[in-house]
Amino acid sequence: MIVSERITQRWQISNKRLPFLLGVVIVLGAVVMAIFSGLIARYGPEDADASRILLPPSTHNWLGTDINGSDIFSRIVWGARIDLTIALVSTLAGASVGTAIGVWSGFYFGRPGWTGWLSDAILRFMDVFQAFPIFVLALALVSSLGRNIYVVIYVLIALQIPIFVRLARSAVLHTRQETYIESARCAGNSELRLILFHVLPNSLTPTLVNGSVVAGQALLLTAGLSFVGAGVPAPTPEWGYMVAVGAPSLITGQWWAALFPGAVIGVIVLGFALVGDGIRAYLDPTTR
Amino acid sequence: MRLTKFIARRLLLAIPQILAITVVTFVILRILPGNPAYELVGPFATPDTLNAMEHHLGTDRPLPVQYGTYISDLLHGNWGDSWFSTRPVTDELKDRLPATLELITLSSLIIMLGGLLAGLLVALTRARFLDRGIAFYGLLSGSFPDFWLALALSYIFFFKLGWLPSPTGRLDIEVNPPQHVTGFYTVDSLLTQNWTAFRSAFSHLILPVLTLSIVYTAGIVKMTRSTVDEMLRSNMCTYARACGLPDRVVLRYALRNGLPPILTLMGLTYGYLLGGDVLVEKVFSWNGLGSYVVDSVVRADYSPVQAFVLLAAMANFLIYLVVDLTHLIVDPRLEY
Repeated sequence: MIVSERITQRWQISNKRLPFLLGVVIVLGAVVMAIFSGLIARYGPEDADASRILLPPSTHNWLGTDINGSDIFSRIVWGARIDLTIALVSTLAGASVGTAIGVWSGFYFGRPGWTGWLSDAILRFMDVFQAFPIFVLALALVSSLGRNIYVVIYVLIALQIPIFVRLARSAVLHTRQETYIESARCAGNSELRLILFHVLPNSLTPTLVNGSVVAGQALLLTAGLSFVGAGVPAPTPEWGYMVAVGAPSLITGQWWAALFPGAVIGVIVLGFALVGDGIRAYLDPTTR
Repeated sequence: MRLTKFIARRLLLAIPQILAITVVTFVILRILPGNPAYELVGPFATPDTLNAMEHHLGTDRPLPVQYGTYISDLLHGNWGDSWFSTRPVTDELKDRLPATLELITLSSLIIMLGGLLAGLLVALTRARFLDRGIAFYGLLSGSFPDFWLALALSYIFFFKLGWLPSPTGRLDIEVNPPQHVTGFYTVDSLLTQNWTAFRSAFSHLILPVLTLSIVYTAGIVKMTRSTVDEMLRSNMCTYARACGLPDRVVLRYALRNGLPPILTLMGLTYGYLLGGDVLVEKVFSWNGLGSYVVDSVVRADYSPVQAFVLLAAMANFLIYLVVDLTHLIVDPRLEY
């Protein structure tokens, strides 16, 4: 009796957290794939065998081969290094810079003098930046600055800063009028100390919840850029580029070359979204 | 009178923002590595010819001067020429805009109707499995790349089932485009009663429209579900129900009061699609604005990209204005 109750109880808890756990498993799996690529993949990232073109999935080539005769499974595994590095590094950097700017501008919003003016100017500037069609902006920036991984990362950081500025700023606008901030001020804390130790830690919820989703979006954008041939340069195993390579064979029936790498992108973005949902549910007391 | 004043003020406010957008676009594009003069005269030209061409195009002058010329041309209705095709950009936009508009307008209609109906269904039945289903669909549609979905759909419906034509362009090769009236092939062929062209244009539209609809309906469904649900639980609706009003009327109240955020999201989606359907256009070789811009960026062709960004920015401001105006109609309490 007690045992079965325990089991159902435990099952209920895990049932509620199942999506979150699934997300964590997906993301961790992708990270493991990126770190241990050399052990998991059977072939090198740019190995190609001209005698084994467009072979369907088999026990030897688990996900088939592409038009160049490369093993798709191996290239997907190697691609995790490129795509995850781009998505995670750009999101971490974008979140740090964007949150710093957002917290500052939220804290000083509406103040007389240059601080209030600058806070307003930052918001206007972000408005202009966000009025662009995001994909076209990314494409123009990457083409103008050069097609390599570093440029893609810089461009993604630039595109993510406004998102995080907004998230942090709107949270700070709420936090700064809380009574505990007022009492901290009355206790004689300096403005810098107020921002760093009182406002900032209490305004991070939206950033944490959305950060994971933004990382997924960064992955989609990276893949999209490579898909039109403007992202990471050609032979590099990048998932979006692999879809582009496989696309022409799709309408003659060789679906594996395009659909497998794209599905991997989808599953990993899904993983990020599930992690984000899980964090949201955990931090929101009404759904916990 | 106050309404005209409101609209005028909004349009005035848009001007500095649009100007700022043109500055940013202009600067980004001038950093592009290509030299259009070199592309035009070819690799065997003498330095003199190259200089003459640069002088002719105006690319040898300082950036602020070039920007000044660009703005004054713009105000005179001259959006510049494409250096690749040597045609005025406005002509090229006119050729390609209908293709994109046909695609995104039809998609948006389906997204709005489908999203609204599905959202209402979930909010009204409050069935748990429908709720879960919507959440799951939202996660999936936001995660898988739109170009991947486009490819998967064309594999299934073209290669496997053979129900739809190959995913290349707006018409079958052997079909002539219908007489030009609006530029929308489906509308034009209906107007001129050209049934072969209509069938061809319509069957080519199905897959891209389906792709965009699947990807972008989720947001509207979720928004409709949550706002209508919230409204139905509000005091206002409880009171209406307590007064004995039929469910139909209560629902009308709920919908009318929940409409503003839904309308905003619909407007946002339409504006987003104008630049956001690029990848789907690429997959289906759709000769629209999106593929035009991508090709132009790659060729360092400044004018089309500038024109597109300007057009998209103006369209977005206009959409926001229309959305806000519909808010005024839906909610008379709002002040402007």
